Amino acid sequence: MTSSNASADDKPPLLPSWRAWYWLVLGALAVEVAFFTYLTRSFAP
Amino acid sequence: MSFLDWLVLGGTLLFIVGYGTWRTRRAGNSLDGYLLGGRQARWWGVGLSIMATQASAVTFLSLPGQAYADGMRFIQFYFGLPLAMVLIAVVAVPIYSRLGVYTAYEFLQTRFDRRTRTLAAGLFLVQRGFSNGLSLYAPALVLSAILGWDTTLTVCLLGAVMITYTVSGGTRAVTVTQQGQMAVIFTGMVVAGYLLVHYLPAGVGFTDALHVAGRMGKLNLVDFNFDWENRYNFWTGMTGGLFLALSYFGTDQSQVQRYLSGQSITQSRLGLLLNGLVKVPMQFGILLVGVLLFVFYLFQPAPLSFNRPVYEQVRMNSAAAPEMARLEKEYAQVQQAQQAAATALVAARHAQDAPTQARAEQRLQTTQAAAAGLRTDWKALVQRTAPTADAKDTDYVFLSFVLRYLPQGVVGLLLAVVLSAALGSASSGLNSLGSTTVIDLYRPFTRRPLALCTDKHLVRVSRGATVGWGMLGIGFALFAARMENLIQAVNILGSLFYGTILGIFAVAFFQKHVHGRAVFWAAVVTQVATLLAFWLTDIAYLWYNVLGCFLVMGLAELGQRASPPGPLSR
Repeated sequence: MTSSNASADDKPPLLPSWRAWYWLVLGALAVEVAFFTYLTRSFAP
Repeated sequence: MSFLDWLVLGGTLLFIVGYGTWRTRRAGNSLDGYLLGGRQARWWGVGLSIMATQASAVTFLSLPGQAYADGMRFIQFYFGLPLAMVLIAVVAVPIYSRLGVYTAYEFLQTRFDRRTRTLAAGLFLVQRGFSNGLSLYAPALVLSAILGWDTTLTVCLLGAVMITYTVSGGTRAVTVTQQGQMAVIFTGMVVAGYLLVHYLPAGVGFTDALHVAGRMGKLNLVDFNFDWENRYNFWTGMTGGLFLALSYFGTDQSQVQRYLSGQSITQSRLGLLLNGLVKVPMQFGILLVGVLLFVFYLFQPAPLSFNRPVYEQVRMNSAAAPEMARLEKEYAQVQQAQQAAATALVAARHAQDAPTQARAEQRLQTTQAAAAGLRTDWKALVQRTAPTADAKDTDYVFLSFVLRYLPQGVVGLLLAVVLSAALGSASSGLNSLGSTTVIDLYRPFTRRPLALCTDKHLVRVSRGATVGWGMLGIGFALFAARMENLIQAVNILGSLFYGTILGIFAVAFFQKHVHGRAVFWAAVVTQVATLLAFWLTDIAYLWYNVLGCFLVMGLAELGQRASPPGPLSR
């Protein structure tokens, strides 16, 4: 990880921006929490 | 263990370690190559290395047992991790990258001064130096209890293998071996999960197992009720878990070194984000194996205690014999009733007969309460007959199942999972201890002429430091065998230091006007206050990460305002 590569780092792969990547990770967490809440409530005693 | 299991276990470990050592045999030509693998790691290599560093043997020994006994609520501990990955990718990665540092603590000298850097590096070396030895001790303890392996020999062998490849190939060897180790870990856990479902009685499927586990309160994944005394709920995960993850991934060199070795900022960031995406589902899968184990043992006889050495110790005591016979007899009866109730519950569910289902559920809960009562009696018996023995047996649940029920070859594979995790995690720690020693302690303080501090010399010093820390780790692991509750003590030790270290970095990143003297003394006061609070209060240890961080930030701010104007750090 060197500063010489910094200019090539403005655009991330696959998604249009880093912000989109961050929202993907946080969105995945939200989906997981929602899924876990569903499991907890569906199978609760 | 059969010959085939030994072959799979030995072959897997030797291949991974041998291949990693051979492939990285020229890594010691430069300091950059040795400490950061020439900064050539791709995103998936960085991500796998981060995951392998965090996943120690304890993960695969303790988590299924924890879910077996306590359900899946521990998953909430990881809810703060994805957010921490995003914050580190946004804030820390570009700064470390711009400065081209070898260790996280180098940045503190640039931002503050040398003594703040040395303080943070010293705190890291103390807590990581101790906890790294336990990465070897914990699996050796369980393997010796279940398989009869000699603890000293297991620790020494694991330690020797780890030191050899870490010293030989440095960070690159650690990364390459971790890729193989993670492949073994994922394969082993998927195979174990599949076989567990496969071994359920005929007519009991995966959704039936989930249904039964849920009715018994094991699918307690999310709890939104806030309670200071409840260690695992949504809010502690999103606060204490977040701060712990920020400290661990953002300031602990054993993790920072993983993403510093990335080819570019992009590769480092993506590696961190991969961890943010995969970690929660991975932990969910491991905990699910524990819940499936719970359902499996509703239909199969479970021992009164999975901890065989303690069980045998009590059994050998003639004074305990009558009580033990009573417990064994009643436990067997409870288990039969439990099996009948569980079978009736599944049948009623298939028949969609709600009243019968409710009755079976009630019966199953009653048998569970009776079994829990008998286990409490057992623990009391252990306390009376063998006061020094640890009656807790959850760490032994998973491996006991593996050894008793899984086919030949798969047993070897799952033991390889445990030992791979131990090696992967401990080698990263060892690697970071060697790097921090040479970069943050040796290089700034050596009186050796600058011309003689060549890369070759520094690599040699780093190798020596790595061997030294490795030997110290082995020594500590052997010493730990003679002490009780040390694992928990050292886990707590980590949290006692992380808050202060995170606070120093938080001031560095977010309080740009605060200078070195203010943050140094704020860190010293916080560390003393944290240790005093630990001795004098009952605050749950996870909170030290949050409190320590905010205390350093607050005191540094006060110190900055109170002290006469001085030269601001850059």
